[in-house]
Amino acid sequence: MIFRNNDIYQLIPQRPPMFMVDVVWAATESDADTGLTIQENNIFVENGLFREPGIIEHIAQSAAAFAGYGTFVRGEQPKLGYIGEIKDCVMHEFPHVGDELRTRIELVAEVNGIRLINAEVHVQDILIATCQMKIFLKDD
Amino acid sequence: MEKNELIAKVNSVLAEEFEVEESVITAEANIKQTLQLDSLSLVDMVALIESEFGVKIPAGDLAKVQTFGALYDYLAERQ
Repeated sequence: MIFRNNDIYQLIPQRPPMFMVDVVWAATESDADTGLTIQENNIFVENGLFREPGIIEHIAQSAAAFAGYGTFVRGEQPKLGYIGEIKDCVMHEFPHVGDELRTRIELVAEVNGIRLINAEVHVQDILIATCQMKIFLKDD
Repeated sequence: MEKNELIAKVNSVLAEEFEVEESVITAEANIKQTLQLDSLSLVDMVALIESEFGVKIPAGDLAKVQTFGALYDYLAERQ
């Protein structure tokens, strides 16, 4: 099942202008593929480039959407996710306005609501960023 | 892997990752206290165990794995 644009409101609680995932291509229990097309009015665009905070936020929201997919399947409301730790984050390129990010999220481990994930962000076959994050999902 | 080898590898891997002396890792010692694990670094330990030993520790089983001795047994039973 593919989620696009407003459909993603069912997976994550973020809303514009802090909405940094516009498609979830696929998700399983262990991984997910998400995307974002960089618009000129994106708040993290500077001089036509999508900068580091935007890439990190995109990864975090991709991880949250991945978790949200699980809650959606179970018929639950999406949970707010907090970045607990960022590790081994490398930015190789800055995407341009109009570029389509394609992001792979892999779940490494999960303990007591804290998820350790690996992320790889590409634009076509160009590696944009790699990162490891811990995301804490807050229970209501 | 023989249990003695398993114990040696567990001790070596955890001591290196969490920067403690191997001598403080004993069967009776509490894992969280010895490795000074908080809720974030506990996830690192679970991920490390899975990558090194191919054994996934579900959150529900962590309560049973409080000491290194319990961890050795847990891994030995699942290898």
